[in-house]
Amino acid sequence: MRGADFKAGIGMILLSLWVFWYSSRYAEVVINIYGPNFFPQTLSVFIFICAIMLIVNAIKGKSPSKGEWIDPKGFVRMTIAIGICVGYILWMQVIGFAMGSFVFLWILMTFLKQKGVVKRVASSAVASLTVWAIFRYFLVIPLPTGMWGFTF
Amino acid sequence: MDFELLFDAFATVMLDPMNFFFVFIGITAGIIVGALPGLTATMGCALLIPFTFGLETVQGILMLIGIFSGGIYGGSISAILIRTPGTPAAAATLLDGYPLCQKGLAGKAIGVSTVASFCGGTISALIMTFISPQIAKIGLKFGPPEFFALAFFGLGIIITISGRSLLRGIISGLFGLLITTIGYDPLSGLPRFTFGSRDLLGGVTFIPALIGLFGYAQVFRNIEKMQLLPAVRSKVEHIFPKLSEIRSILKTLVKSSLIGTFVGSIPGTGGDIAAFVAYSEAKRTSKNPELFGTGILEGVAAPEAGNNGAVGGAMIPMLTLGVPGDAVTAVLLGALTIHGLQPGPMLFRDHLDVVYPIFSGMIMAQFVLLLVGLAGAKVFARIINIDRKILTPIIFFLCVVGSYSMQFSFFDVGLSLVIGIIAYFMEYYEYPASPILLALILGPMAEQNLRRSLMIAHGNPLIFFTRPICLFFLVTAVFTMVTSYRRQKRMIASEDSI
Repeated sequence: MRGADFKAGIGMILLSLWVFWYSSRYAEVVINIYGPNFFPQTLSVFIFICAIMLIVNAIKGKSPSKGEWIDPKGFVRMTIAIGICVGYILWMQVIGFAMGSFVFLWILMTFLKQKGVVKRVASSAVASLTVWAIFRYFLVIPLPTGMWGFTF
Repeated sequence: MDFELLFDAFATVMLDPMNFFFVFIGITAGIIVGALPGLTATMGCALLIPFTFGLETVQGILMLIGIFSGGIYGGSISAILIRTPGTPAAAATLLDGYPLCQKGLAGKAIGVSTVASFCGGTISALIMTFISPQIAKIGLKFGPPEFFALAFFGLGIIITISGRSLLRGIISGLFGLLITTIGYDPLSGLPRFTFGSRDLLGGVTFIPALIGLFGYAQVFRNIEKMQLLPAVRSKVEHIFPKLSEIRSILKTLVKSSLIGTFVGSIPGTGGDIAAFVAYSEAKRTSKNPELFGTGILEGVAAPEAGNNGAVGGAMIPMLTLGVPGDAVTAVLLGALTIHGLQPGPMLFRDHLDVVYPIFSGMIMAQFVLLLVGLAGAKVFARIINIDRKILTPIIFFLCVVGSYSMQFSFFDVGLSLVIGIIAYFMEYYEYPASPILLALILGPMAEQNLRRSLMIAHGNPLIFFTRPICLFFLVTAVFTMVTSYRRQKRMIASEDSI
């Protein structure tokens, strides 16, 4: 993980410098020397020190060896699942919570290759309706209504 | 300790059927979450917190205590049946639990595990009830320097025990603290790092961050791996242990419960450490230590009493000082804050109407756990066979709902998703997530009290070193970090020599 640590260290140095500079403007607004800038600037100093230590470890070869790593096919599967979730957040606002959730669950289970259409439909329906009912009738917490003005 | 108030609280909690209902729901949900490998008690609490928003404070907290206790116990079911602990706290249980299952005694193992969890949880709840008010009295003497030192102590401990690398733990903690600076400055009210966004004025909300760190990240890992678990093939029969069997392990139960309570009360430790300490102590003092690992009841009783003993133990620093004992109590602390309560010494001064019901609810939860565990063992065993391709999307769905329901904001959902993606990658680069969670809770306390202390002392940092309680916490935190660093160096040196 030498390369990763080296890059992370550089990134952290840049971040700490930016945080130190950006928070210095807060000192101009208040008169107290322990104002809003104090804590972020203190943290940025420590982040800078840790970044240097990370880089030094990487150069000396003391970075931990790479353990379990990401499975490429699994990563693609995960990325697509996140995309489906983003789509769910968008279509939920159009078609409402319960229907949107049913569609999301059914699509995701199908994508993950869950066998059995009946099982998929039943699980999606039960899960989305149960949560909808709990939030609507038991907790009385509003859920997205969709463009037709009802949450179903 | 006001005994009259305590008995009143017992009567109120136990005589109200709705309290029993919520504890029952919490215990059942916790056992299910705990029994399923890939889900943790922390995740269960995080996902179910939104379901407590519409409840009264005490009922919500009782449900979460139920999830906590049930979650820690539930991990033993999969540890015994399929040699895969449902939660890290059950890792020691499989050492003798699975061999017992192989001998055809799965039901007996689960029965003993249930009784042991009940014993550990009850003893620790009683200790918590009687010791917490005394610790809170000491806490009332704390000023800003002591609260800063306490926050530093809590962060220091969690950093040292998270992950293999101290440096990576510190970096995680610092990033967590940096995240807490987003939003209104607590002392001057000035917005910081909001970049003109109204959604960020309140800072990064705790629940979405929590769901991102422990909910989404785990879901992403599950989807990436999509591993199938071995099916439960063992028959779960003869669950109720005989009285003679319980008598034979009684000494182990009590000792392990006390060990678990003590270990759990140290901030930063948790059920997993308590379980292993209890197991190794039981083995060390046993007349037949060579039998441990071959499938004996003592080998199941010790870790289960230990890990459930840690439940009450972890609540002690959380309730009395506002420093969580482990990740799950960190979630409970967040839940109390959401319900308008600030854990710490002031809770005992101003909200005894909540504190005593928590104590009595905790004790009631152990009885409910015993009933549900023994009666529902066969059902919970079958739940392990639920198809992951159905379960994982449902958990994903609950993460979205949970992160939305805090402020009815899709911004929180997006933020939670982003945090989840970051946490997913963090694990592969060996940056622990627990320090970020603790930093989100302790960061504001650390910043406010640090600045107040320096203002009081006109900038003189010696204020932190001239007050004994403050000095104690600071020295202990530094000492723990130094010993952890030396231990890691030794581990790395021994790995290199192999």
